[in-house]
Amino acid sequence: MYFIGCDLGSTTGKVVLLESLGDAVDSCRIVSWALEPSGFSPEETADLAINRACEQAGISRDQVAGFCCTGYGREHVSAIPYNVSEISCHGKSASFLLPSARTIIDVGGQDVKVIALGKTGKVVDFAMNDKCAAGTGKFFEAMARTLRCTVEELGEMSLQSVAPVSISSTCSVFAESEVISHINKGVDRCEIAGGIHESIARRLMAMVNRVGLTEDVVLTGGCAKNKGLRVALEKMIKVELTEIPCDPQINGALGAALYARDAYDGEK
Amino acid sequence: MDKAMRVREICDSFRELCSVPYNESLQSYKNDGGLIIGVLYNQVPEEILTAAGILPVRIRAVGSQGTEASDARFTQVNCSLVKHFYDSAAKGRFDFIDGLVATNGCDHVRKLHENWTSVLKPAYSHLLCFPKRQGDDLQVTQLAKEIKKLKESIEAHFGVEITDEALREAIKLHNRTRELQCALYELRKGENPPITGAQMLAVMMAGTCMPREAYNAQLEELVALCQDVEGISDYKVRVVVYGGEIDSIDFFEAIESQGALIVADSLGGYGKRSADMQISLEGDLYTNLANAYLMERPAEPRLHGTRAARWEYLEKVAEEANADGFIQVFIPICDLWGYERVMFATEVEKKDLNCLVLDTEYIFTASGQTRTRVQAFVESITEGGR
Ligand SMILES: Nc1ncnc2c1ncn2[C@@H]1O[C@H](COP(=O)(O)OP(=O)(O)OP(=O)(O)O)[C@@H](O)[C@H]1O
Ligand code: SF4
Ligand SMILES: [Mg+2]
Repeated sequence: MYFIGCDLGSTTGKVVLLESLGDAVDSCRIVSWALEPSGFSPEETADLAINRACEQAGISRDQVAGFCCTGYGREHVSAIPYNVSEISCHGKSASFLLPSARTIIDVGGQDVKVIALGKTGKVVDFAMNDKCAAGTGKFFEAMARTLRCTVEELGEMSLQSVAPVSISSTCSVFAESEVISHINKGVDRCEIAGGIHESIARRLMAMVNRVGLTEDVVLTGGCAKNKGLRVALEKMIKVELTEIPCDPQINGALGAALYARDAYDGEK
Repeated sequence: MDKAMRVREICDSFRELCSVPYNESLQSYKNDGGLIIGVLYNQVPEEILTAAGILPVRIRAVGSQGTEASDARFTQVNCSLVKHFYDSAAKGRFDFIDGLVATNGCDHVRKLHENWTSVLKPAYSHLLCFPKRQGDDLQVTQLAKEIKKLKESIEAHFGVEITDEALREAIKLHNRTRELQCALYELRKGENPPITGAQMLAVMMAGTCMPREAYNAQLEELVALCQDVEGISDYKVRVVVYGGEIDSIDFFEAIESQGALIVADSLGGYGKRSADMQISLEGDLYTNLANAYLMERPAEPRLHGTRAARWEYLEKVAEEANADGFIQVFIPICDLWGYERVMFATEVEKKDLNCLVLDTEYIFTASGQTRTRVQAFVESITEGGR
């Protein structure tokens, strides 16, 4: 039995195709997944990603027993009315993959969400950034542009930093001009990259403090693939992050797929 | 016409009135030679203005598109509400008012009143000093004096006389409004409330931007209709919203779109708190006004010594409305409600309440994030996560 979870984020659409292998809650496997840059219409992004995931698995869409959407575009896919918030989806998936997870930090393209889970894996509290992009993927992308490198390179460079520069502005626009002034002063790019990561880790920590920090701590979202961010964050919160056994960017989509399965089971 | 349809029609017409500062109803009132005074915030005893034959209209910068005009006069640490108010005033969106009355509600409002008065120079302007604490006769006596000063100032400027008889009639009229509003709140406590929280906000706000007799008449009809319409059943949880002068219907709609039906509130500006008092007609009317506005009306966080009473009121409202949770709403940088948020957090923790804190700039734009937050909140309640 197949289920699809569709996380239509502000920058990337993610689809996870899940196969449930029996009645036990944990007897299922990820068959395939697909990432698709978010286009103008969530409907289109969803279609492209779903088709690709199905193709990879060699199944047709009709074989899928249930769908669920999450992410910014979740309410705008007419064919899939069932939707669940990203907060619940990230929580669901993280506690499925790692039952000891208590704090999830999701750093996506536009939002940062910190989610506190109870012992049973239910969401007990959460915090979300305000409208400002500071501390999110968009911020990294802007900084990478300024330093003329890719986000991946930016993360790599930060790992070489020994004396990161200080970036005090929390606003992306101001932080960018701080970075430019460091460049003009001839500061080593690695130290600037280190400073950028440190400033973001500081912002994340402020949000973590709003809901409290309980181990195990999991980092999800596309930015979790940035090694530099993981290291900077671990240093800041003084806790080692626990890895989840899948691409952290598809965590929300996996949660949605699990909800799709639950809904199907509930209706049976 | 079918009753539910008529209910919707009245609510829609109220909403229409709230969608621009100078609505059709005010335009026709002005065309007939009526005078209007703009009122800043909800502590002004508007009965005095009604008794003077002047229509009090609550200032709202609805539809404001920017704050450029404010940027030179306000700082980064002023809330967006006062900036939008000033900007709209500077751009002439309130040119229809014949004067302005404010209270010293908070420092931001005072700054707004100061700038408005000194730079934009309305034909008439008055600041009523409202006591900072609830307590004893001293404060009531002081407020009664302030209300008399307002009365004398209006009389002098507009060349009118505010007789006790006129004031008595005005109080009756306003009491009737509050009574009808409370009746509507009462009906929303049931399992299938006749109208949504967004509709209720429109109902409450309309009362501050149209002639009161006409408003009461429509409200009367609405209350009667709501006695036996079918009511709303497609919601997931019942919530109480708690906060200050929130006036965005879109904001409430975003909340309710996620299945969180607003069944009651503790909102000072356009909510239950502004309706929960009746002014006595016995004895000295000025003392009665002071007593009601200061002592009887459920308190704002701005009034010292009212913390316990604020909680008691909120809990009572939630219990009566059979609410599953609270949504605290506030405008960033607002000291009063920012402080209340911190106070609330300790209370929430102690009592293990379901509570979501939502902020919105005065002009609500963060619909996506608000919807995500509310949806997650609803899910956490319905899944028994707390
Ligand atoms: N390998 C990588 N290294 C660093 N950053 C990456 C990597 N892969 C993706 N990202 C970043 O992850 C971000 C997208 O992550 P994600 O898909 O979780 O966001 P989203 O769900 O679309 O956004 P949101 O949750 O804010 O709506 C992009 O900003 C991208 O730059
Ligand atoms: S929102 Fe807060 S800070 Fe702004 S005017 Fe109102 S009470 Fe004052
Ligand atoms: Mg996301």
